[in-house]
Amino acid sequence: MMNPVLGRELRERMRTGRAFVVIGVFLSLLILTVYLVYQGTKSTGEIQTDLARQTRLGRDLYEWVLFVMLALVLFFVPGLTAGAIAGERERQTLLPLQVTLLRPRSIFIGKVLAAMSFLVLLLVAAVPVMMVAYLLGGIRVLDGVKGIGIIFVVAVLLTIMVAALSSLARRVQTATLVAYGFTALIILLGPLLYFTMRVADGSKGADLENPPAVLLTFNPIAIVADATAGENSNESGNPLRWSRGELVNAKSYNNDSWFAWFPDDDFGARFRILNGNDDGFPAWILGTAILSAVAGTLSLFAIRRLRTPAETER
Amino acid sequence: MSDTIDIETSDGEPIDGHPVDGDGKVVEEQPAAAVAVRAQQLSKRYGSLLAVNQLDLVVPRGSIFGLIGPNGAGKSTTFAMMATLLRPTSGRITVMGADPSQKPRTVRRRMGYMPDNLGVYDNLRVDEYIEFFAASYGISRTEWPSLIDGLLELVDLSVKRSSMVNSLSRGMKQRLSLARALVHDPELLILDEPASGLDPRARVELRELLKTLNTMGKTIVISSHILAELEEMCTDIAIMEAGKLLAAGTPREILSRLGGARTVRVRFATGATEAFTVNDDAEQAALLRRLLVDEERDVVEFVEESGGLEQLFMSITEGVVQ
Repeated sequence: MMNPVLGRELRERMRTGRAFVVIGVFLSLLILTVYLVYQGTKSTGEIQTDLARQTRLGRDLYEWVLFVMLALVLFFVPGLTAGAIAGERERQTLLPLQVTLLRPRSIFIGKVLAAMSFLVLLLVAAVPVMMVAYLLGGIRVLDGVKGIGIIFVVAVLLTIMVAALSSLARRVQTATLVAYGFTALIILLGPLLYFTMRVADGSKGADLENPPAVLLTFNPIAIVADATAGENSNESGNPLRWSRGELVNAKSYNNDSWFAWFPDDDFGARFRILNGNDDGFPAWILGTAILSAVAGTLSLFAIRRLRTPAETER
Repeated sequence: MSDTIDIETSDGEPIDGHPVDGDGKVVEEQPAAAVAVRAQQLSKRYGSLLAVNQLDLVVPRGSIFGLIGPNGAGKSTTFAMMATLLRPTSGRITVMGADPSQKPRTVRRRMGYMPDNLGVYDNLRVDEYIEFFAASYGISRTEWPSLIDGLLELVDLSVKRSSMVNSLSRGMKQRLSLARALVHDPELLILDEPASGLDPRARVELRELLKTLNTMGKTIVISSHILAELEEMCTDIAIMEAGKLLAAGTPREILSRLGGARTVRVRFATGATEAFTVNDDAEQAALLRRLLVDEERDVVEFVEESGGLEQLFMSITEGVVQ
């Protein structure tokens, strides 16, 4: 039997106009991105004659669409998911739900699955926009799948984290503020720590005093950038490329390890990245693993918060 | 029910864990099968606030049990502990023979709960709303159509079956919530202020509905501020204040035990009206006999003035706010 919470959420979500407004805004902004990038490159006058240039345009378009898609997901997910549990509380519908035979984990999973289903709808709707880049060349079908896939993974992890945080709040407004604050933290915490430590170190040489490159990995932008890296993708030109460049620099300061303090021992070797080789430990896997651990911990906490009988009314 | 209800005053201390009455006598415990809810020395503390203080309570099966008390008396907290939502700080509670803290799912299968705040999913249709809770109680999909028909008929919402929940009046939403609480056919219904905010007609309809449910064999535990309503409907009541149980039993029983006097207004054939004060049923019967037989007066009306539950409530409670 389908999770009852999932069924109800989907029914309610699709019944309101909000879902269609979000899809409309999402697609409009992606189409605008394609138009602006295409116009920007076309104005150079080289696009019709230079195949290499056209291929590069395809890659540019792909990366810009990915970046805007990621930015929109990071913007929409907290707004759409923050009310998951807090909304039930605010509408006074949580207590009737808690006295049914549904287990707390079913309630939580239902909420997350409903949000994920909507994400799937958003990302599937974006496929035709992504195909424009494919038609221009410079990317393979696999690149498109990888791009949408990694954005989906990041979105799912963020959804889980925001839904879990929603269990802390009594009002949707508070939950929304917490959700956006947390999303900002996920995006900024690692880079802020890393660059602050790097400024404090000042040497920038490959020594043990350098900040660990791992600080840059659990960032959604870095995860998408690393997972979608391809030819010509380390040059400057868009935020994904900038992020990739910073990751490469950070690793080089750490003797190609994610952790500056064990660059040469056996344990450290497992986390080493060998520039130019494919047998390294990718940043996106490390970043996804860290975010997964945070999402898992928060989920357990949220399920515990939903458990009754409780010591206090939640 | 007078022989099965225990009475306890606020200062009644338990003897060997058994509740005692106001005279310090151990109250006879009822067999478990006859009891829907039993609370023994039940307490709930929130920080420095003692919301429920050593409550001893027995709700007989098949009764309509009214829990009365001013705001902050601890009624909703007591209900939340019965309904598997809150864990007691100390003491023990059993609901349909099971401990809600130890076996919440066992209790949930046999208990329907309607909280004091009316929360419904506005973007669902009435039938979808019931379907959702039927699914949440693990009821097979094949049973849903007949279940929905039966419940909507019971709560008189059949004509609203396809309406959106947000289009219903407050009274209708209240009845829909009741249908929701009944979806798994529980033996016990816990209703926290179900009549609050309802207009007089909706209140009467709700009261009739609860009586119907009681005749179907369901035990109903209800709280309300509208005492006249409870008086009309409840077979048993308990009065709480500041987390403590002040009295429990039938209203008449409590009046008698507390020695409360009542006023009887008599109208004679001459048109004259006189008021008499009596202390109990025996005195009331003696008064009537005296007027009719001894004094041979033509009595056309003999009415006990209804101050009833309200009077009782005012005489027992002290207006203590925690």
